[in-house]
Amino acid sequence: MSTETTGLGTPESLTDAEREAVEAELRPLADGEFVLAERYTEWQVQAPTLESDLAISNIAQDELGHARLWYDLLEDFGYTEADLIWEASPGEFRHPTLVELPFAEGDWADAIVRGYLYDAYESRHLHALEGTSYPRIADRVGKVLAEEDYHTQHARNWLSRLCDDEPGRERVQNALDRLFPYALTLFAETEHEDAIVEMRIRTESLAAMRGEWLEVVVPRLESLGLSVPASEDGEVLVDLPDQVGKDGSHTEHWPELLEEFTRTYRKLELGEPPRLLEDPNEA
Amino acid sequence: MVTMDIDTLTERAGPRQFGPKDDLPEEYRKAATRMIQFHANSEIMGAYLERPFIRQAPSLDRKLAFSAKVQDEIGHGQLLYRAAESLGIKTREQMLDELANGEGKFLNCFHYPMTEWWETPMIGFFVDGAAMRRQATLKKTSWEPYAHAMDKICFEEGFHIKHGESILRELATGSRKEQKLVQEAFEEWWPRILQFFGPTDDQSTHHDFASAVGLKTMGNDELRQSFLNAYLPKARKYGLELPEYPRINEGENGRYEVVEDDLDWDEFWQIAKNDFEPGRQQIDSRRAAREAVAWVRESMETLGSGSNNTDTPQAAD
Repeated sequence: MSTETTGLGTPESLTDAEREAVEAELRPLADGEFVLAERYTEWQVQAPTLESDLAISNIAQDELGHARLWYDLLEDFGYTEADLIWEASPGEFRHPTLVELPFAEGDWADAIVRGYLYDAYESRHLHALEGTSYPRIADRVGKVLAEEDYHTQHARNWLSRLCDDEPGRERVQNALDRLFPYALTLFAETEHEDAIVEMRIRTESLAAMRGEWLEVVVPRLESLGLSVPASEDGEVLVDLPDQVGKDGSHTEHWPELLEEFTRTYRKLELGEPPRLLEDPNEA
Repeated sequence: MVTMDIDTLTERAGPRQFGPKDDLPEEYRKAATRMIQFHANSEIMGAYLERPFIRQAPSLDRKLAFSAKVQDEIGHGQLLYRAAESLGIKTREQMLDELANGEGKFLNCFHYPMTEWWETPMIGFFVDGAAMRRQATLKKTSWEPYAHAMDKICFEEGFHIKHGESILRELATGSRKEQKLVQEAFEEWWPRILQFFGPTDDQSTHHDFASAVGLKTMGNDELRQSFLNAYLPKARKYGLELPEYPRINEGENGRYEVVEDDLDWDEFWQIAKNDFEPGRQQIDSRRAAREAVAWVRESMETLGSGSNNTDTPQAAD
């Protein structure tokens, strides 16, 4: 009745090549959510208003929750949370460098622009995972997608209101100028890109996703009176930064951030991070 | 409508008795504002003290829980400022400005710096536990919007205390190093925690009126007794040893007598005036962060008429 779809099996049944490709897809995804959230939490108790404080906290916690879901899939392959985060070296993290950049004090425009560029990418990425051949990913995409809609809405609303007056628009423009090259790291390919697409772990190539992203992001930003160093038909006028993250290269800000958030873990010589919540497999 | 006189007010005072529809004397509205503003400020400054530990939490789950807790405290601040605003004495912006410029007062414990993870249960378990004693009684305060806010706040605080206790348990049953560090933190924080309820009632300036009109329903001494009854056994259960000073004498009927002279009241009163240097630094660094995003608030004010901002981004919940 149907043509045989060659889906991937359980974590244990994957060939080495399949497993490498799945890991290469998951690692930047998990790290990206985690590090983005880590930066977002810097706004807690520092956001412009109590309401925006609550909203950014919600988003940070959503992203942390997503990171947890993706890390859990990496744990299928025998890694522990300690291996993946708490005892990992800076170069083992594969998040795009966009998410590791620090915020200048008071630069709410950066948080909003970063969130907008990232969320626009993430929702495309998740859609490209909806038809994944790997069942463990397929099981979790829906939950994550549902929450991303709110994030996108949040970023769009804030972008419009910040761009509503000249001083605000100027700050948004500055953030955009600084962040845009780093946003391109979201689409940086790894050596596993061809395998990921061929095995249909992700149903769309990063190159195609980048094209769609530009089609959406460029006109919206331009409609707000911003100038974007790219066109909606795919032309990009800036280079990728030297550090893209997905290949293990990072900016000087990353080891510093890693050092800060693993401080307690190291000082207490824990060896194992405390678990409180139900394992996502049981939930 | 005629403004209610103090005698009538005192006579009618009871749990959740008064609300925005009542025309209440200024003395009541001012006393209630002072009390709720202090409470709201404390939520904000408590969150400010705890925010570094979102970053320093040693696992994903702890990080999530800490972020959620700090968010809850901001939510409590928001609810309480609203309850205070409804008294018609001050606007929320006024109260937030006062907190930023050092006029706004808040709990003594939040004037001390907290730098290490193993100190967090001192706030998250003991101080929150002490706060819970007081807050539970405020469900019966006479200003209805305040009592209403306490329903939600107490519900959420219950989870915070459980989280604080879970961190304490982890440290107290952990390595020898963890046990030693948590004991040191306890000795450092314990005297401040005992001062949480302030000096004995007869020294508290605002107490009499607040009690007479039903804003406060229980005195400081009684609250401290109830806290000690519940939390001394818990401290012992986790192997924490009480420092020799301040002395706490156990009376015959199970009452605890804290030797008040063993506590540093000069420091307490300095804190009460926002003159304690570490607390001052907390206030000032928070003000700097608040001023750094003043441009966003100004940008929002220039939008439309300001009152029809229906597209204001809101929290998802």
